[in-house]
Amino acid sequence: MASLGRKNQSLSRSNQSSDSILSRVSDSSIVRKGKSAACDAAYVAKRLMKSTGKAAWIVATSFIVLGLPLIIEMDREAQLNDLELQQASLLGTTAPQPSFMGPSS
Amino acid sequence: MATLITPPTAVTAPPAVGSTPAVTEPQKVDYMNLPCPIPYEEIHREALMSLKPELFEGMRFDFTKGLNQKFSLSHSVIMGPTEIPSQSPETIKIPTAHYEFGANFIDPKLMLFGRVLTDGRLNARLKCDLSENLTLKGNAQLTHEPHMSHGMVNFDYKGSDYRTQFQLGNGALFGASYIQSVSPHLSLGGEVFWAGQHRKSGIGYAARYNTDKMVATGQVASTGMVALSYVQKVSEKVSLASDFMYNYMSRDVTASFGYDYILRQCRLRGKIDSNGCVAAFLEERLNMGLNFILSAEIDHQKKDYKFGFGLTVGE
Repeated sequence: MASLGRKNQSLSRSNQSSDSILSRVSDSSIVRKGKSAACDAAYVAKRLMKSTGKAAWIVATSFIVLGLPLIIEMDREAQLNDLELQQASLLGTTAPQPSFMGPSS
Repeated sequence: MATLITPPTAVTAPPAVGSTPAVTEPQKVDYMNLPCPIPYEEIHREALMSLKPELFEGMRFDFTKGLNQKFSLSHSVIMGPTEIPSQSPETIKIPTAHYEFGANFIDPKLMLFGRVLTDGRLNARLKCDLSENLTLKGNAQLTHEPHMSHGMVNFDYKGSDYRTQFQLGNGALFGASYIQSVSPHLSLGGEVFWAGQHRKSGIGYAARYNTDKMVATGQVASTGMVALSYVQKVSEKVSLASDFMYNYMSRDVTASFGYDYILRQCRLRGKIDSNGCVAAFLEERLNMGLNFILSAEIDHQKKDYKFGFGLTVGE
């Protein structure tokens, strides 16, 4: 308990010399406002990053499920069409393929 | 009281008398000779086919073998997690596996369909043409749990431009429906049902407007359900569908949009929902009689992910 008392004394002694430049600068209102603005900006930036991350995740997984099979299948269809066009130009017209009708659910 | 919903009509007008002979005149509407309408329970058929594929989770293998021109047997193995209903918001899934054996008999006048599963369930369907216009249909689902089996019998009568249906089910379920073609593109119908066991009765109306390129349907029921759907055939291979369901008793709203691509080697259906659900279903033809199926469903709101793959062998 005696050591704590001595620490308090030392602190009060440093507060009394309040004309040290560093403490004056850090106590001024501009710096305080700047600090709180920086805190708010960090908070907003963190929230924005999180929600952008969530949105990016949702968009990416939805694209993988909805868009990717579509792109792949359309590509294959285009390749098949090109092949048929090539064959048709080489041999004359070929018979058209029947279209796919999957098992009805 | 439920109100009748009629989508905007554009009935073909009778042609002007003095039109130039070089231009083909639009067909005069023959109100005595309208086409037969779609059966009442299939009124949402196009939207259902595009927006509600049979999504599944796990592995599915189907093998169909035709013994005869009319008779065929099918074996299927289904393995995967199945959801059990739980009170907590967490979805609980238990892995199960079962084998299903089925037999089909298809004749122009009689169709029989039966399936048995290893967990004791039996599904049977019957469709019989008693005469040219009268059809008898029946279906039954039997389980070994008490009070969970049910069966239903339907009598359908098809007139020249109308259809009527009378339904009898177990648990004192009676239903009747009627649908009439009002113009070459528009048909209107209504239904009535009474369920004795639950002491409920209801009445509903439906309307369907279709042209070559689009189908719009609307249905209202006194159970509180309002369902609207619109399917547009963008080209021969592509159609886009949208669906809106609203329950005015429980204030539940669901809207969904989907696409349906029918290409030469595959059929791809995808849909996105207002409940934050994204689903896709792909059936790819690897070879003659060999189909590969992929199913995916992502529910962003409940964070529930379901993926399945399967193989279908046989015609």
